[in-house]
Amino acid sequence: MKGDLVLETNGLQKSFGKFKALKDVNLQLHKGEVLGFIGPNGAGKSTTIRVILGLIKATGGSAEVFGQNVWKDSVKIHQDLAYVPGDVYLWPNLTGGQTIDLLLHMSGQAHTPRTDDLIKTFKLDTSKKNRTYSKGNRQKVALIAAFSTDVDLYIFDEPTSGLDPLNEVIFQNLVAELKKAGKSVFLSSHILSEVEKMCDTISIIREGKVIETGSLEAMQHLTRNTVVVKTQNPMTALKSAAGVHQLTFTDGHETAAEFSVDSDQIGNVMSLLSDSRIVQLKTTPPTLEDLFLRYYSANNDQKVGE
Amino acid sequence: MTKKWVSKMTQYTQTFALLKANLKRDWIKILIWLAVLAGMFVAVAAKFEGIYGSPKQIATIAQTLRSQAMVSLFGPMTHASLNTAIIFASEMMVFWGIFMVIFNYSLSVGATRGQEESGLTEMVLGGHPVGRLAPIAAAGLELLVANSLFALITGFGMMAANMPGSDFNGNWLFAVTLALVGWTFGMISLIFAQLVADSHNVAIYNYAFFGITYLVRMMTDVANPDYTWLSPFGWIEKAGIYTENNWLPVGLLAILGLIAFGMAVALNVNRDIDAGIIQVRAGKRRSRFLRGPATLLLWNQKSISLFWIIGMAVLGASYGSVFNSISKIVNDSPVVRQVLGASGIAHAEKTQLLSFVGILGVIFGVLAVVGGAMVINHLYTEEIKGYLQLVNTKPQSRSYLLSTYFVYGWLLSVIILFAALMAAMGAGNAVLKHPLAFHYFWRTFVALVPVLTVFISALVALIGFLPRWRSIVWVLLGGSFMISYFGRLVDLPTWALKISPFYWFRKVPINEIDGTPVIWILIIAAVLIVIGYIGYRRRDFSN
Repeated sequence: MKGDLVLETNGLQKSFGKFKALKDVNLQLHKGEVLGFIGPNGAGKSTTIRVILGLIKATGGSAEVFGQNVWKDSVKIHQDLAYVPGDVYLWPNLTGGQTIDLLLHMSGQAHTPRTDDLIKTFKLDTSKKNRTYSKGNRQKVALIAAFSTDVDLYIFDEPTSGLDPLNEVIFQNLVAELKKAGKSVFLSSHILSEVEKMCDTISIIREGKVIETGSLEAMQHLTRNTVVVKTQNPMTALKSAAGVHQLTFTDGHETAAEFSVDSDQIGNVMSLLSDSRIVQLKTTPPTLEDLFLRYYSANNDQKVGE
Repeated sequence: MTKKWVSKMTQYTQTFALLKANLKRDWIKILIWLAVLAGMFVAVAAKFEGIYGSPKQIATIAQTLRSQAMVSLFGPMTHASLNTAIIFASEMMVFWGIFMVIFNYSLSVGATRGQEESGLTEMVLGGHPVGRLAPIAAAGLELLVANSLFALITGFGMMAANMPGSDFNGNWLFAVTLALVGWTFGMISLIFAQLVADSHNVAIYNYAFFGITYLVRMMTDVANPDYTWLSPFGWIEKAGIYTENNWLPVGLLAILGLIAFGMAVALNVNRDIDAGIIQVRAGKRRSRFLRGPATLLLWNQKSISLFWIIGMAVLGASYGSVFNSISKIVNDSPVVRQVLGASGIAHAEKTQLLSFVGILGVIFGVLAVVGGAMVINHLYTEEIKGYLQLVNTKPQSRSYLLSTYFVYGWLLSVIILFAALMAAMGAGNAVLKHPLAFHYFWRTFVALVPVLTVFISALVALIGFLPRWRSIVWVLLGGSFMISYFGRLVDLPTWALKISPFYWFRKVPINEIDGTPVIWILIIAAVLIVIGYIGYRRRDFSN
């Protein structure tokens, strides 16, 4: 298993003076996998990525890419890595096209027909100077260069924060292509729908600690489905049922209700409901949004799933 | 009518709030500049009587100041009867004028384009009830405040210094003229800030404009001082401080400044935020040339490097073109001629000219360091601006990146120095009857290379270890220049003079280069470079 680890951090720490930006970051990215890295602003996502890229030095723990030390062997690692930062800043005097070619050259790559396809797909006018580009267009420049680079690991830090929904879809498709080609992708985001659609595994970071890692399904067992239901007979039994939370009746006869239910209690609750004769039923699986809100509204020391 | 007027005035809404914010941001910078500029000015004035107090001392310096070399540097000395204050005015006027212009440029670029680039202007204009013209008005006022403070400090300081020959009228004319020349060039800088869209280009336009006015001033002073009226920078000489005390230049500068401000406002109204009046044209879609950090640096720096080299060659040539008048012995009375003889005269003339070449070398050297250091500074400014985050994640080592900037900066500074000296030689020998041999210029060049190297190395060390404190190198450079330039004027002790690396080669090119200081300076430079590389490899990148 260790053999196909592309990226691994263990107990990673980073302090800036007295401020501990990273306290305990544990990540694992396997070959051919898309790992989502989510957390609110200031949780330490970019700091983690900057440590992994060898831009800043960890103050504790270890971080390895391709089995090599991210700080000492950064030059070697960078030969097989493409990176798109969250805020892309480009030399104002270069055109977008010149920038793309430069970035490709620096990675030892060439401008290929695929590069031209990508420029067309993203609809970027490459004759314009970087200083005239909007944030989204600067991001496109970096994305085009990254996607036309043929390497093993792609790192995206909030890659679509400046893109419109149409380009977001293009980005998601391109990531899917990378995955099909057996590449590994590390993607940070606070846009949860994006992570949900693309990632195999998700790591959640909060205040410098990775508090949860797993597949989306694996995390869902920890969470509650939202149920909206109408029945013929009153659902009085719900009030005392195990695993039912935030129950509100939306009419006076207790025949319409909204509540959330623990995933492992859903069978019992369903049989209770069918006793009252279901007229209408809607259950919604938790989105990452819900997961997210639940984790981050929790107290500092409350563990996930409590 | 009133409605129109009201809507016009709303364009300036919140100007004073912005002014307050600007001053809050810049007060340390302004304070340091004022302490150095006004403080040193007054300090030199207070000490001046001790140096040029007696009639004999005055007569000696007057002779020097009347030579063409000094006229080209300081402006003409026309007055017949001299006193301490007049000497002071003629030595300080042009130099302090230059410093005032630099001070105002740095403030005005920061308050206009610098602020716009950082996104602050957009936030302020877009999200708050602030008039469209408030930022530019606040910038104009900020400069007014800074220069008024300078005028007040120097005015009262000069009154306290009370040099022989100074009077109330002259003291205040001096203070106000210097303050106004700074402010006016600052206002002209506001125009350039509207024309081009980034602070880097604004600075280029600024200094190009200033360079032209300075050269016009220099050439006309040597040729015919009447034409010096052509250059706004030359007006400061026309004030005739402590002699005629002419307030006309003050009025002219004020009018020019106001007109410039008016033009800047008119241009500002007609442009979009973050854009310049001069449009950027479409560029190439592909690049074969750009392959890595080195070619990228060359690409980004090519225009400004060329500008430096050509500009310095022009400066060198213009100094060279006055070599024939500089070589003339001021005191060429028949008695002296007889005593020295024809060959003696030629020798004395040559020595005088060679020591002028030595002075030019120091000036060119300082400017060459500025040119090279600005390139190396980019390594850090590009890091903070985030441009380098894409380079630093490519398979190139940090040492390679640092080497690229270091070698480029060092080479540029050496080339600038060489170009200036060669241009001075070319133009000088064209006007001289007995041309100066190449080896004198070569010797000056060789002596200054280690000096350049040590300043550049100091900057490399700072960028590696303490990038936030990289401006220390300007203090070192300015300090060294001040020490070797004004050190002897204000009678600094020898140990203080020795701090300046320039001191060790003060006799070049008349004498041979002393090898010992060369070795020491190069050892210090090597240590600084090693420190820089170690620091740069170890430190966190800030963006």
